[in-house]
Parts: sequence; C-alpha cells; structure tokens
Amino acid sequence: MTPRAHLGIIGAIVAKDLREFSRDRFWMIMTPFALVIYIALFWLLPATTEETIKVGVYQRGLDAVIAQLGEGQGSGLDIVEFESPGALEEAVTAGESVSIGIAFPDDLLEAVAYGRQSTVTVFVDAAVPNEIRTAMQALVREVTFELAGVGLPVTQPSQELVVLGEDRIGRQVSPREEMRPLLVFFVLLVESLALAGLVAVEVQARTAKAIAVTPATVADLLAAKGVTGTLLAFGQAVILLVAIASLGNEPLLLLTAVLVGAVMMSGVGMIAGSAGRDFMTTLFTSIVFIVPLAIPAFAALFPGAASAWVQVLPTYGVVQTIVGVTVYGFDWAESAAYLGMAAAWCCVLFGAGWFALRRRVEAL
Amino acid sequence: MNPFLALRVFLKDLRLGPRSPIFLWAVVFPVVGTLVVQLVFGSLFAPKPRLGIVDEGASAITAAAGEIDGIELSIVASADELTHLVRDHNLDAGLVLAAGFDDQVRAGERPPLQFFVSGESLASNRLILAVTTLDLVRAVEGSTPPVEVDVVSIGAPQLPLAARLTPMLVLFALLIAGVFVPAFSLVQERESGTLTAMLVTPVRGTDVLAAKAVLGFVLAFVMALVTLWLNDALGLEPAALLVAIAVGALMLAELGLIYGTAAKDAKILFTLMKSLNIVLFAPVVFYIFPDWPQWIAQLFPTYWVINPIFEIAINDASLADVAWQLGIALAICAAAIPVIAVLGRRLQGRVAAA
Repeated sequence: MTPRAHLGIIGAIVAKDLREFSRDRFWMIMTPFALVIYIALFWLLPATTEETIKVGVYQRGLDAVIAQLGEGQGSGLDIVEFESPGALEEAVTAGESVSIGIAFPDDLLEAVAYGRQSTVTVFVDAAVPNEIRTAMQALVREVTFELAGVGLPVTQPSQELVVLGEDRIGRQVSPREEMRPLLVFFVLLVESLALAGLVAVEVQARTAKAIAVTPATVADLLAAKGVTGTLLAFGQAVILLVAIASLGNEPLLLLTAVLVGAVMMSGVGMIAGSAGRDFMTTLFTSIVFIVPLAIPAFAALFPGAASAWVQVLPTYGVVQTIVGVTVYGFDWAESAAYLGMAAAWCCVLFGAGWFALRRRVEAL
Repeated sequence: MNPFLALRVFLKDLRLGPRSPIFLWAVVFPVVGTLVVQLVFGSLFAPKPRLGIVDEGASAITAAAGEIDGIELSIVASADELTHLVRDHNLDAGLVLAAGFDDQVRAGERPPLQFFVSGESLASNRLILAVTTLDLVRAVEGSTPPVEVDVVSIGAPQLPLAARLTPMLVLFALLIAGVFVPAFSLVQERESGTLTAMLVTPVRGTDVLAAKAVLGFVLAFVMALVTLWLNDALGLEPAALLVAIAVGALMLAELGLIYGTAAKDAKILFTLMKSLNIVLFAPVVFYIFPDWPQWIAQLFPTYWVINPIFEIAINDASLADVAWQLGIALAICAAAIPVIAVLGRRLQGRVAAA
C-alpha cells in the first residue's frame, strides 16, 4: 500500500472520530461552555500586580521627608495623609483604605533637635505580615535618624548596581498573566482524557481489532488516534489563546509549543486509554499522569526558577515556552532550549503511548 | 420511596465500593492531598520576602536576620552564586558581608553595602528587605534611635498559608466523595445494565437515587472531616463544624446525583465534569490568593458551603456567624431537588425503555 493510501485511511479514521464527537450534542455544548468559563476566569483576574505598601501617615512639618519616602512606584510605598492620629487609627481599624498607619508626634522635629526621646505610633492591622511590621518600624527609625542628621553607617552603591536582571518595577507579572499557561495547559491535559476515553471505548468494544479485517493497519489506527487527540487539544488551546489575547508576541513559536504539548498529551491519552479496563478506570489512570504533569504549570504561578525535580518533568519545557513568550517576550532563540526539551519529552511520551496502545490492540 | 430498599441498595454500594477506583480515590485523597500540598506545594508557595546572605566573617547581621519572623533567609556560599540566585528571582535580595564588615561599621568607617535586589522582586519586598537590612546594620553600629516606636496591633492576625490551602483540600475531598462517587456509580450501573435489572425487583428509581445520595453524603461528610483532622483544622465549635460539613456534603451529593442522572454514559459524565468542575472548584483559589477580589468567589455555589467550613474550622467562627451563608447553601440545595426529580424521572424512563 502506498503512503498516500495510508494517509487516506488515517484521514478517514480521524474524520470518523471527529464526526463521532460532533454528533455528541452534549459534548458540543459543554466543551465550548468550559472554554467560556476558562476565558471568563482569565478576564476576571486582576490585570496588574499591587506591589506597593499603602501606608497612612499623620505628620506635622515633615512634608518634605514624607514626600521623598513615597516618591515614585519604585519606593514601594503608597502614602496617604491623614488629618489626625484618631482619623488614622479609625482608617486602619476599618481596613478599607490603609492597613498600616504611622502617627508622628507633633513635636517630633523639636524633640529630635533637642535630643529628647519621643514616641512614634505605628497602627497595624493584625493581618499585616510580620515582615512588613518590622520594616515599618525600621523605616520610622531611619526617618528620624535622617531628621537628626545621623548619616548612614554604610556607603550605598549606585542604583544601577543594585538591581539584577530586567527591572520590572511597575510592570510585574499580573495574576492574569500568571494564570495563562495554567489555563492553556489545563485544556491540553483535559483533552488528553477525552482521547483516553475514546481509546478505552474502542479497546473495550473491540472496534480496534475489527480494523484488522480492513485495509487499515494497526499503525494507521494508532496514527489516527494521535492525530485526533492532537487536533482536539490543539484546536481548543488555540481558541483559548486567541480569546485571552495571547498571540501578540511570536505567534508561530507559541503555536509550536502548544502543538508539542498537544502531541505530548495525545501520547498520555494513548497510554491511559490502553491501560484502562473501562472508561472510569481510564479516567483515574489518567489522573495519575495528570497530577505530576500539571506541577510545572502550577510552579509557574510562583516566583523564581522551579526546583530541579520540577524542571525534569515532561511538561516543564512547554510551560516555560508559553511563560517565556507571553510574559517575557522570548523569541525562538531564547525558547530553543525549553522547546527542545519539550520536543524530546514529546517523542518519549508519544512513543510510549504508541507502544502501549499497539500492544493492547494486538493483544485483543 | 421505600427507605428499607434504599438502605439495602446503599449497603450494597458500600460493600462493593472498595472495588471501584473512584471510591478508593475518595478514601485515599485526604491523605495524599494533604501530603502533596504540605510537602510538595508548600515549597512553591513562598510569599515571604527572600533574602540571601554571603557571610565571609561571621557577622552579627546574619544571626539577627535569621531571627526575623517573616523573612526567608538563605545562607549562600559565594557572591557569584548569590548573584545568580537573585538574578533568577530565586531570591528577592542578596547581601554580601565581607570579612570585618561589623568592625568597620562599629569603627564608623562606612564600609560599602553590597546589597542587590532582583529585577522581578516586588517594590514592597525590596523596601522591606532594604530597610530591614539597614536596621540590622544600625544595630551592629550600636546607635540609639532618636525615637521609640510603639506598635499598636488592630484586629485578628493573618492566616498562614497552610490554613489558606485547607479549603482546597476539603473541597477536593467533598468533590471526589460527594460528586464523583455517586455520579460514576449511577452511570456505571446504567452502562452495565444493573439499573434495568432492578426494574424486575421491588426497588424503584427513587430508592436507587436516595441510596446514591446517601452514599455520596456519608462518604463526603467523613472524608471532609478526615481532611480537616489531618490538617489540624477542627476549630473550636465541633457542632457548628459538623453542621457546615453536613450542608457541604449535601450540596455536593446533590450535584453528584445531577451529574449521574444527566449523563447517559461515562463519556458524557466526563464532559460534564470537565466543564462544570472548574465552576465548583473556583472559590478555593481565592483563599490561596487573598489579595484577589474576593467577591468573585461568591459567584460560585460551592463558596456558600466551603466558606462556612473555613470560617468555623480556621477562624473559630460560631454557627450564628455563618448561619446566613449556610442558609444560602441550603437554598441552593432546595433548588436542586426539583432538578434531580426531573432528571431522575427521565433516567427511569430511559432505563425502562432500554
């Protein structure tokens, strides 16, 4: 049989599988509904990151110092002035506008000038983390050292030497951007279950064996299942990417990463589908794969490079490529290592899926 | 409905349950979930500012920094390694303390402060670490601050991360035991033909539905309680907690019946779950990230059961404090009954026609 004939057979099986899905009215309604929920969740999340500490201040005669403290977003402070210590305490108690308040005494300048000890009151909501309380106390002390004309005990380096890496002050990764790879990946993972279910049903109904009496080979069947799974996962992931406006930077690179992820997930679907005795066993076998595979996507929600054990998980490369392209504007060269790692894992998992399903079909 | 027959079906499900992987998942999940979240994800959720120090001369600053609650301190071997860690945002800031740094500070020589921050570090974390570091240096210098700082704490303290993760684990336990078990059990009985076979016995469809609901309710109730116990989150009001868990188990068991009766086969059930479970699970994300707009969580039905459980188990609320939330949850449960009745009748009709 010619390669073209094989392609025709694979196409026919894929078309049959897709037709089966499209005839399932319930699947046709609920799958777009799930996508709508993912998209809505994405757009509901905050588009910016709050990276300043909002502090209420009551002071008399310290305008210049306080203005200097809250200067620019890089200061880390957002200062709100209050008319009286009572109003400041009330605001902290209400917890609506500020959760920290600093009340400088009216005679602070005089006290500092005459070397007289004075007391600054810091109101903090009990929910304020301890490190912020400690920092606010230190900040108050430092302000008064400055007022007293006591210089720093150290020589400070210039600002350029202090910040390592790209300075993202004012444009930190928002919760919305952090969720993007997780959502895309979730679609891929869930669709691997759909393929696993389809495979399990065919194995159970022995339709896979029936193919042996047609011109189609087992390889044609396996290829068709791989294509079906990839199409289902990739198609939905692309719709999601478009709907959450993610194709702005390097769309081809992003689509390649998602395609690699979709093929990888098809491999997982084939493994789970061939392992399960029935649909439910298949589903829960799939969960055993899904939990570790989802860890890199969850890890991307949190700062810093993932632990070494997370980096060796098969899905890490795909997730990092999505994060790199959508958050940090990576290009092909910058993503090459991650994409290469993902492609290698993709070959391993798809190969394993192929092998497992082949054995299962041949054993029928 | 015949309660005696429903009980017999329930006991049969309970006896055969352990053979089902879903049932086993429901029982095993509280232990596995607690372990995974506490041990594995615990290291990923790192909300504290992270400071790395290279100490080349046994500085007093290092010891003092280690005692500050709320700052995650790492001792790093070399300045090069520290630079890499900060650049990759594995640390928010880094401090290199050269040999003799403390002596130079005490002698008023104003040594250079080798302090750097990650470009990806939040401005607030940079401020916290910079100003705290400076304060530690001042302490070594021995200078007396011109003022006393009086801290007045207002309200209740912030919850640790483990407590904020508890709703996720409890909802997972409720979801697997309350929704998955009865739904899959119903679909499995339908697919294997045992539901049809029951038509020739005195058991009615309502008896089967009641048995599945009780199975989901009992399992969800027990597993949610076990999950809270494993996470040391039983609160101070055991009676209130039991009531809140019971309402939660009821809502989830009802949802399990809706899923199980609406789905004509396992594939449809799976589609239903993958589509709707995100709606059920969404509220717990808002506990993990308290800075996100919390009103969004209230849009999801499970919020009205998970929040009372959370308030009682973690914040020591009383039943009166959460009564109105449980009222909303019960209203949702009541609204689900006619839906289950309609779907149940449709299921019985389909089984009879099969």
